[in-house]
Amino acid sequence: MALKALDIYKLLPKKNCKECGDPTCLTFAMKLAGGKADVDLCPYLSEEAKSVLGASTRPPIRLVKVGVGVRSFKVGEEFVLYRHDKTFYHPPGIVFRVKDTQPEDEIVAVTRRVRDETFTRVGSDLRFNGIAIENASRSPETFARAVATVEKVEAHLPPVLISRDPAALKAALVHCGGYRPLLHAATAQNFRELCALAKQHGCPLVIQATTLEGLVQLVKDCTAEGVQDLVLDPAPESLGAFVSRSTAIRQLAITRSVPELGYPVYLDTAANGQEDAALVLGITKYASVIVTSPPAPGPSKAALTLRQNIYTDPQKPIQMNPGLYRVGTPDKDAPVLMTVNFSLTFFTLQGYLESTRVPCFMLIVDTEGLSVLTAVAAGKLSEMLVRDSIKKFAVENEVSHRKLIIPGYASPLSGRIEDATGWKVLVGPRDAAEIGEFLHQEWKN
Amino acid sequence: MAYTVSFDWTSSIGEVVLGATKSEGGTRKISYRIGGGSTLPFLESLPSSPAPLIAFEVCDNPVFWSPIIRNYCGDLVNDVTGWAKTADSAYGADMVRLYLTSTRLRDFSDIPSVKKTVEAVLSATALPLIIEGSNEPKIDSEVFQACGEAGQGERLLLGTAEAGRYRSIAAAALAYNHSVLAQSPIDINLAKQLNILLREIGVQRDHIIIDPYTGALGYGFEYSYSAMERIRFSALKGDTDLAMPMICSAADSLTIKEVRDAEPALQDEIAVGWELFTGIAAATAGAEIICVRHPKTIPLLKAAFADMKKNPLSAMGVQ
Repeated sequence: MALKALDIYKLLPKKNCKECGDPTCLTFAMKLAGGKADVDLCPYLSEEAKSVLGASTRPPIRLVKVGVGVRSFKVGEEFVLYRHDKTFYHPPGIVFRVKDTQPEDEIVAVTRRVRDETFTRVGSDLRFNGIAIENASRSPETFARAVATVEKVEAHLPPVLISRDPAALKAALVHCGGYRPLLHAATAQNFRELCALAKQHGCPLVIQATTLEGLVQLVKDCTAEGVQDLVLDPAPESLGAFVSRSTAIRQLAITRSVPELGYPVYLDTAANGQEDAALVLGITKYASVIVTSPPAPGPSKAALTLRQNIYTDPQKPIQMNPGLYRVGTPDKDAPVLMTVNFSLTFFTLQGYLESTRVPCFMLIVDTEGLSVLTAVAAGKLSEMLVRDSIKKFAVENEVSHRKLIIPGYASPLSGRIEDATGWKVLVGPRDAAEIGEFLHQEWKN
Repeated sequence: MAYTVSFDWTSSIGEVVLGATKSEGGTRKISYRIGGGSTLPFLESLPSSPAPLIAFEVCDNPVFWSPIIRNYCGDLVNDVTGWAKTADSAYGADMVRLYLTSTRLRDFSDIPSVKKTVEAVLSATALPLIIEGSNEPKIDSEVFQACGEAGQGERLLLGTAEAGRYRSIAAAALAYNHSVLAQSPIDINLAKQLNILLREIGVQRDHIIIDPYTGALGYGFEYSYSAMERIRFSALKGDTDLAMPMICSAADSLTIKEVRDAEPALQDEIAVGWELFTGIAAATAGAEIICVRHPKTIPLLKAAFADMKKNPLSAMGVQ
């Protein structure tokens, strides 16, 4: 069970020596309790205290790195079952599958797609993460050739090598052994040979079993062989089996009821023929490495967007910098629309304004990332803020009129904004979707 | 040795019945009893717990509908009864959600037409219905009265009640034994508050479906997702004012930039991708009715839900 900060504090030297980098032993204890610091940072701990603390303060799910270089990704080190309890930290790596039986040009095309494809949303570039090469041919030579084909593209993408045959993996590792590929998969039959390969090349290793007992046994076996960077494949035979097994693993790991299950989870979407559905479940239900056939454009964008949504920190609203933004090339007669700096509000309104094709200004005021409704209720959106923002961003130099469109939900402030700014206020719609109709009907100079 | 996964739930989701068959006093070919869940979605060990229902959304004035759907469904969008029939016979939906968009025209006053439309749709399809009335407070009372009366005995789901305007819907639901769709803006406390308001004027818990409002994927979906998870969690921990089934309608999916601006050849596929991903994710958070507007999303969701109901926790030696 997890220790509370005060319980941990009792085991610390209480010297406040600052050698761990924290100002006091108590703040260090608080970090340990949150899984945010390593016990080894304290040089004065007794061996006994270390063993007690080590077991209960390391993250309940191990951090595992796949690949090397800029495109490598880290998964695991999660703490909660629900994102609203804290946040999810490490988004799953989504890895495209190729088979070594596919023609070389297809393998090259998929590799290039993962290398080059980006989808920009809310100011972030979203990408897929790696290439899984499956030893469908069962021939070590063919497998090695396919891996060499992928590596020749020089994409530096994290590889996943899918084969249970140690000879095939060995042949493939000749080409990518230095790139920290993820090996899939060790089972009760082959774990000794695969552990030897994982140790030799320093790669993470997937273990596969259809029961939790089987996974726990393999974790014990593989750690005894000296491999610590493990990933769990519960080999679900249905989408329901994935949800239940993955949830059970997450819950047993974060409560430290079964510490052996404290590793990231692997999902291959091919198992049940519904790859898009499996991809959704992998993203929402705790998969850390998802292997999938390259999805069509619709599901690709939806998957990247869903992953971004689910792994957004719910404690921090994403904010825009306050300021005066242009939509199109507005002139001196263009409308000015005021709204808050909650990024979702900004991007939603901007999207609708772009489609109205009316050039205009967006005056974004600083409500510390609160939405219009909550900013009005909390008093963060006030006539003073609007007045100061008009001045600060020199809006009066940009337009010759003095008319300000405010969000529908800010209508209680309309009179006060008029008094404070001297501008005429037009109350816009509550829903950004109606802004086009509003501008066409109400905006007349 | 089996591992015990314990969540310490103390309660379950209340049940709501939608639609009425002949023997139940209506004319539907099927009725649904939803809710009843006693743990997280898709972890139920009871094989009888139902898969989420898929409601296909139609309207009686397509001016307000996405051009993507107008193009895909063609002339059907101008014939609401034919469209509702196709939702059952060809698209394979579990329910039809009828939006009375005709009432949204300026100065609408033709109340008798509302009753006629609802009656016509009820005879065109034998599926249980969700009816979305006006969104103009001045005509709410008459519109919902007309809907309620036209569907007497059919156990409709009437929407959408909000904190500021729920009385007309509640009155129609109470008078004709329908259920109420209660929408709050992505906030568990506001959802609870509205349910209490409804209870205070006599709407029973087993006649309420919670709509926590679904923001489109990429446009606030994560807030809706967490609101749904929190509502389900509170309900299972014993909060009876939140222990109702939830509905998800990601109608905004068709108007967001990524879908609207997609190149024409890909537009259907991207719209379906957006609806599919939102629908499955919402179901994992606890939504039990998933509304869609693109017919091609229905078979994909259906197949996914069927497979998600397979192999419960008990099948792996976990209790």
